Amino acid sequence: MLRFLIARLSMIGVTLLVVSGVIFVVTEILPGDVAQMMLKQEATEERLAALRAELGLDRPAHVRYLDWIGGVVRGDFGDSYVQKQPISEILPRRIGHSLVLALFALALGVPVAVAAGVWAGVRPDTLWDRVVSTVGLVGISLPEFVTGVLLMLVLASTLHWLPPSSHIISGSTPLTRPEILVMPALTLTGVLFAYIMRMTRANVMEVMQTPYVRTAVLKGLPMRQVILRHVLPNAMLPTITIIATNFGWMLGGLIIVENVFSYPGLGQLLLRSIQTRDVPLLEALSLLIAATYALSNLLADLAYTALNPRIRYA
Amino acid sequence: MSHQPIEGAPLLEIEDLAVTFYTPRGTVRAVRDASLTLHRGELVGLVGESGCGKSTLAFAVMGYLPGTAEVGGSLRFEGRDIARMSEPELRELRGNRIAMVYQDPATSLTPTMRVGAQIAEVLREHLGMSAEQARERTVELFESVRLADPGAVGMRFPHELSGGQQQRVVIAMALACDPDLLIMDEPTTGLDVTTEATILDLIADLKTRVNAGILYVSHNLGVIARVADRVVVMYAGQTIEEAAVRDLFKNPRHPYTAGLLSCVPKPLAESGAVTKLTAIPGSVYPAGEEGVDACLFADRCPSVRDACRSEAPPMAPTDVGSSSRCLFWADVRPEIWATGEEREETPAANGAEEVLTAKSLRRFYGKWKRKYIFFGPRVQPPVRAVSDVDFKVGRGRTLGIVGESGSGKTTLARAIVGLVPLTGGATVLHGEELERDVDDRTRGQQAAMRMVFQNPTASLNPRMPVRHAILRSLKKFTGLNSRERRERAVELMEAVGLSAVYLDRRPDELSGGQQQRVALAGAFAGNADVIVADEAVSALDVSVQAQVLNLLKEHQREKGASYIFISHDLGVVRYVSDEILVLYAGHVAECGPADDVLAAPSHPYTEALLSAAPVPDPDAEPTRIRLEGAVPTLREAFKGCCFAGRCPRKIGPICDDTPPPARVGPSSPEHLIYCHIPVDELAEMQRSGVGLR
Repeated sequence: MLRFLIARLSMIGVTLLVVSGVIFVVTEILPGDVAQMMLKQEATEERLAALRAELGLDRPAHVRYLDWIGGVVRGDFGDSYVQKQPISEILPRRIGHSLVLALFALALGVPVAVAAGVWAGVRPDTLWDRVVSTVGLVGISLPEFVTGVLLMLVLASTLHWLPPSSHIISGSTPLTRPEILVMPALTLTGVLFAYIMRMTRANVMEVMQTPYVRTAVLKGLPMRQVILRHVLPNAMLPTITIIATNFGWMLGGLIIVENVFSYPGLGQLLLRSIQTRDVPLLEALSLLIAATYALSNLLADLAYTALNPRIRYA
Repeated sequence: MSHQPIEGAPLLEIEDLAVTFYTPRGTVRAVRDASLTLHRGELVGLVGESGCGKSTLAFAVMGYLPGTAEVGGSLRFEGRDIARMSEPELRELRGNRIAMVYQDPATSLTPTMRVGAQIAEVLREHLGMSAEQARERTVELFESVRLADPGAVGMRFPHELSGGQQQRVVIAMALACDPDLLIMDEPTTGLDVTTEATILDLIADLKTRVNAGILYVSHNLGVIARVADRVVVMYAGQTIEEAAVRDLFKNPRHPYTAGLLSCVPKPLAESGAVTKLTAIPGSVYPAGEEGVDACLFADRCPSVRDACRSEAPPMAPTDVGSSSRCLFWADVRPEIWATGEEREETPAANGAEEVLTAKSLRRFYGKWKRKYIFFGPRVQPPVRAVSDVDFKVGRGRTLGIVGESGSGKTTLARAIVGLVPLTGGATVLHGEELERDVDDRTRGQQAAMRMVFQNPTASLNPRMPVRHAILRSLKKFTGLNSRERRERAVELMEAVGLSAVYLDRRPDELSGGQQQRVALAGAFAGNADVIVADEAVSALDVSVQAQVLNLLKEHQREKGASYIFISHDLGVVRYVSDEILVLYAGHVAECGPADDVLAAPSHPYTEALLSAAPVPDPDAEPTRIRLEGAVPTLREAFKGCCFAGRCPRKIGPICDDTPPPARVGPSSPEHLIYCHIPVDELAEMQRSGVGLR
């Protein structure tokens, strides 16, 4: 097990190294640079050169890369060009925000989606199955900005149940005003629901056909027990992978949702770093998001192992 | 025992049962008209070929049929009709009063639960036991089904147990609440012969210990003969004969039963002559058809008369106390089927020209390589699936290869054909050494050696008419033009007993036997000199199996082809083979002329295999040699005899330390036995039955 973990973690390290290289190369190829973005109309050749020298942009690319990656290994992501403060000071708060939102959305969405999937999968082709499946399809077909805006119109503008913006006033945390999390989380659930529900439904239907479920039924067990003990653990195995992949996406990829609700998470920061050519910040964020994906997949594999006694890593 | 008067009301009474499934793809009349009674303490065998409705009947007794099923007639358990019970009433019966043992234990246990917990939940549900009581009772149950280490087995997961152990767990689960009725649906079908024998012993023993009625469903007459008191035969959804076990095997009173009995390859007769197997022509009355006022077996019956086609025969009592659904039961005797034809004597081995020679064939799986470049799990040494196997096949002769699953039979077959490259050794065809990979061999060499697989459904392209498979072989291996190929395809289909119309059918429109015959036509297409048949008849029903076996023999007689015939079924191997090679853990245990290998003296492993094979004769002496466990997976060269760990005749440390010498059998110099026990001692031991561990 330890050997497996070490192996997997080092593979993740290698993956991240490759990712960092790719990101660096891409930002090099992009036209324009930070100096131009920062100076805008005031850009003269001298001022540009001066700023580049100040930011260290006049050094050759590979030197800058090595310098940067060396810093990353020591936990120093460099300074944001735009915000003029160390990235390692900007990130923690944002990571916290994103993590809170992601966990909140998962806690809201996963149980509902799994329950609906089981409900539909146990009675395929009934009215209930159709209803649940249609709801799922609608959720997956509507873009997040549509669902988000609809929720805002109904819950905030019309009913006034929730604040329209999820902006966080400096000095407070999302946990002090949990109500701001509800709408973004609901929007995310709309998307998650369809994926997880459909996956669960398909797996439950498959497992329901297996001889071991027949055995369980013919033992005279109540249906509830058959489903909880014999169907669910087996049907959840593939679903776990889906949840893990979505977790990675929810941490780093919520550009639309966070912007619709002005929620200060990683997605918003990412978008801003692209708009302002804040290369060090962009690099740090991309690396962070890649690491999240890799780690949540590792977690999924570990959960899979825990649930599936047939797989044991040496 | 069979004629014992049985007191009291029957436990299970099935009267005129009919089960019809209405599916989007048509109506399936799985059971048309079935009646049987079962008393406490009795074991009734329900026998029939696939599709005859026997499993549907078994599940109907559990009240477990899909919602689309319509049940007619009555199914009474202690007088209450199961088909009309509510779900809670059924739940009360299932697992408690009526319990079931299933065909495939590996898939019948929940993979994510420990086996002990799977039994405990039955006890807790029905008997209201506490966790502690349930645990104790589970251990007792494991003991009663003779599981080794009953205290610890419960903590294992199903995949950590062997097939035999899994089936014991399933049986223990069925026995948990002391059921009144036990239904066993092909409980040994997926198991190795050796394991089957031990499970049958257990069932025979249970019969005397538990006070339950047992309904035992099987397609295997040998198994039925071993365990049943009374037998009910089913055909096309009808029960067609019911008799005490001895009467059924000695005096069948329905032509179908008589036919089934003569389809099974018999043990070697005294004279050594083997009669040609009876094949029941045609195929089973289709389940999609509405019943007619006629005998459903009429179209396949050799002694059919006009009356058979104009009235539906009722179940009627016969002279031997059985009942039969045949109007002319009095005229049924084995001769209506037997052709009396004797197997033609094949030329002696030394006279035959050598076609294929295998020289110390080796096939190892796995490499000494780490999964990730530097890290990752330490890789185990390769698995030695086949180690140093030598054999020769003469022209027009058949080499049978037998062994349990895991003994390396399939790997050996695939290595010969070149589907998996050899790790060492050489295959020589017509004096030329073949390349190890089939793709590197010449067209001619590929055409000369063809393989037939176990599962014809999986080896034919489901989207293409079967014509495609045959024409492709013809195109690849013959120089015929397209018109000649089409003509040849028709000839080939006729040669395997199928009319040309089948060429345009897709595989799913054919039965298993028809599919396998198409596969054979494909193999015959290139006029192959050697056909490697890997369990080619194992998935087929006995009547169809006989058709295919006869077809193979006929083709051999006409074309002089040689076969390598792999099977776990000794009866079948004995029927087709001239020479037999017994494989154990990838090593040759014994080889030589078929008759010599199967007669004493033989290798203790061969002896155990022979002893385990069920014989379709209720008077057969129960045999005594039983092998527990499974074939070991060898990862290192074995110092001694690889059978030593399971050998009932192990003589001492020498078996573990020294490789067994090849001993020459008494009647033929080609008969080799790899054993430390000298041949004459072995013969003496096997005659007198002494020296067993």
